[in-house]
Amino acid sequence: MSCRTHVLVAAIAASLCACGSDSHVVDPPDTSSVSNEPLTSAACPGVNFGKRPAPLTLTASAPPALQVFGLGSETGRYTAEVAARGTTAYTTTWGMRSAVGNKIDIWDVSGATPTLVDSVIVANATTLGDVAVSDDGKLLVVATERTGGSIVVFDLTDPRHPHQLSRFTNQDTDPGVHTAEIGRVNGRLYAFLSIDPLNSIHAKLVIVDLGDPSNPQQVYSKVAGNPFVHDTFLRDGLLFVALWDDGMEIWDIGGCGTGATPAAPRVLGNVHTVGGQVHNVWWLHDATGGKRFAFVGQEGPGSIGSSSTGDIHVVDISDPTAPKEVAFYHVDGAGTHNFSVDEANGVLYAAYYNGGVRALDVRGDLKTCLPSQTQFTSTGNVTRCDLRLMGREIGIGLVELNRGVYVWGVQYLAGTIYASDMVNGIWKLKAAK
Amino acid sequence: MRMVIVVTVATLGAWCDSPAQSWSAGAQAIPLVTPADPTATRAVLTEGYLTQPMFMAHAGWRSLHGVLTLNFEGLTQMRGELSTGGYGEGYVDRRHPHAYVHELLAGVEDSVRGTHLSLYAGRGFAPFGSDDPMVRPFEKYPVNHHLAQILERVLVVGAARAGPVIGELGVFNGDEPLSPGSAPKYSRFGDSWSSRVTLLPARYVELAGSVARVKSPEVPDGHGLDQNKWDLYARYDRRTADSRLYGLAEWAHTNEHASGAISTSLSSWMGEAAVCKKDVMAGLRLEGTDRPEEEPLADPFRTPRPPSDLSNLGVSRWTILTLAVSAPRLLLKSFSARPFVEVARIHAGPGDPPGLFDADLRYGTSWMWMFSAGVRLKVGTIHDRMGRYGAAVVPEPGTRTRSNESHDMPGMPAMPSPAPMTHHSNNAACTL
Repeated sequence: MSCRTHVLVAAIAASLCACGSDSHVVDPPDTSSVSNEPLTSAACPGVNFGKRPAPLTLTASAPPALQVFGLGSETGRYTAEVAARGTTAYTTTWGMRSAVGNKIDIWDVSGATPTLVDSVIVANATTLGDVAVSDDGKLLVVATERTGGSIVVFDLTDPRHPHQLSRFTNQDTDPGVHTAEIGRVNGRLYAFLSIDPLNSIHAKLVIVDLGDPSNPQQVYSKVAGNPFVHDTFLRDGLLFVALWDDGMEIWDIGGCGTGATPAAPRVLGNVHTVGGQVHNVWWLHDATGGKRFAFVGQEGPGSIGSSSTGDIHVVDISDPTAPKEVAFYHVDGAGTHNFSVDEANGVLYAAYYNGGVRALDVRGDLKTCLPSQTQFTSTGNVTRCDLRLMGREIGIGLVELNRGVYVWGVQYLAGTIYASDMVNGIWKLKAAK
Repeated sequence: MRMVIVVTVATLGAWCDSPAQSWSAGAQAIPLVTPADPTATRAVLTEGYLTQPMFMAHAGWRSLHGVLTLNFEGLTQMRGELSTGGYGEGYVDRRHPHAYVHELLAGVEDSVRGTHLSLYAGRGFAPFGSDDPMVRPFEKYPVNHHLAQILERVLVVGAARAGPVIGELGVFNGDEPLSPGSAPKYSRFGDSWSSRVTLLPARYVELAGSVARVKSPEVPDGHGLDQNKWDLYARYDRRTADSRLYGLAEWAHTNEHASGAISTSLSSWMGEAAVCKKDVMAGLRLEGTDRPEEEPLADPFRTPRPPSDLSNLGVSRWTILTLAVSAPRLLLKSFSARPFVEVARIHAGPGDPPGLFDADLRYGTSWMWMFSAGVRLKVGTIHDRMGRYGAAVVPEPGTRTRSNESHDMPGMPAMPSPAPMTHHSNNAACTL
């Protein structure tokens, strides 16, 4: 630590004492942000992690229920993930109910109640665990599981009636593609496939070039996850990989400007969040340009339809080579699954299985809180801010209906939340703000 | 493991030419027809197999002993045997085929100051729960198989018997077999343990309590759910020259947990009894057992191994009444053939928590039937008990081992010298 840094630390400590503030900085002061200058990392000069966000003082109170507009019912199959664009939403199906989970439901969501307008049966699949729409709205990508595994690419020229363009499957996608996220790296579209383990074959991550969606090409494959790899999140050329008990890893696949590509990724850093079971990630780009926090979903054990476990973990990635967990959100009796964030308004929406939908205010500095808002966890030897105690919980959806929900996924879109409920179908709710 | 094989093969090769040596060998197979009405296909399904084909051998030379059981179900019923309610190792409503090497152990035994001591190593049963259902009077396994036994692990198990008390402690690998031919994760040896205490309070009576801590049985690389297991049973087995009266009452409980937090609790109670007279045997079994529901594959009888996460689809509760009747055996020298029929009335209901399980959705009904008809073919000597080694082998009242020392109970004033395992001549009445 340089002399100048010592001085800065001392100055910050003195100022905190002098003003009589009882605020508590969980981490050592982030000296790099004192100047309030944008932050870059030597390991990743191509990404600007932004200025340190200002602390936000909120008062914890009972969160209101999110207003429910309507339900598009699906009772023949279990509903899985949701993706929405414009006035159309797509939900996939999972497992075996009265029919097998091989159907994509296509919903008109222009009205209060989603209306089923079409469906597509995907051959040779027992579960369609994931669905995504490309950023230009031209492609729909669906992951298939347990019959060899694949991704199926659909043309969305007519958004209400997808037309299959191609199907990508090979020995690396066996026995199933658990999730398939899509995104662009230097303008080219890729799919990031999380592959299930099988017997003694380990889970792995496969990257597929969708530059020609009619002819997808695998560019990379790596054994990953311990024991599972469940999801990825791509943004600005950084790939966040959910490696279960191996934590969350940040890969440079072209964003840092140091030569890495989707075909030749470079691992920047890793964090083992408390409890492991890292399932999904969202890298927040807040309204002020801050890019310092990522949200990690933990998928603990549960009984589908009845119970679930797992917290949301907030990770400070301002140094991507040494990301660190700084805060968490816990719900008694329920666990989180997938996220969607209204970044303009700073609200994270989390699917919470039997806990419905949770809305969290994620504006400002999430790593700074009062001592009374912290929790020390001996297993990770880490002190973290508790988002609930920080007053960040601002909405709960679907629980008040008392009809038994099990929410797999959520998507925020233009003031509306679409929630895929395994038991009931697709819900349309009003956003928290 | 290689050393275990060498020792065992060498032991088996020993010629039985002195009182200090003993050996036995036998084989079994059951041609079987089983209709299930309905099963996971929501329809009646009838199948036939050669089930439980196995070769069993025990040998002893002075204080050295070997145990070998080869199971060939991987060759004859890889799809699994219809067994509505049954589950485990990636099979559901079918009993999974067992590992080719069901048991392969070498051990040493000795008596010190009236205490019979043994130490066995190899692959076999952890000291937990009751006997393998394969040596009990019913062809169909109870649903509680994976709650009440821990099998086919690489283990070291020590046992001591003093008077009417037997204590056992074993350490082993937590991972269950992935297939009949898959090798255990040797690197995980020692990550799990179990212990069983058995009391022999009176003639014919056996009381046992077990506890086990099993790491990640369903995810071979670890990081799956761990299991804390308990088992209590009372067993009664009285045999005469031409009769047998047998009973087993068992309670088993397994908590699945991650990071210390219980995720699923599974309980089972079971009672089974059999009576045999003039080699005609009738048996009755009633059990209520929880089953964790898992996502089925395209084949409704299979579930992914390893699973893709730590969740299940809830818990179902299986209540099954099974009646078994077998005719006297046809005997020809050391060969025997015992025809039998079994009928089971099955109810599946929601457990706690029910999750997504709905019997009507899965089976079309919550009440089911299952029938079995077959012939138990045996040649040579098949031992009556399976799941205990060395000093933990419960001496059978009124019988004598090859060393001709009494096993009469209770009190056991004189401890028997090391014996490989109690068994009956294949020609004795009322053996299976």
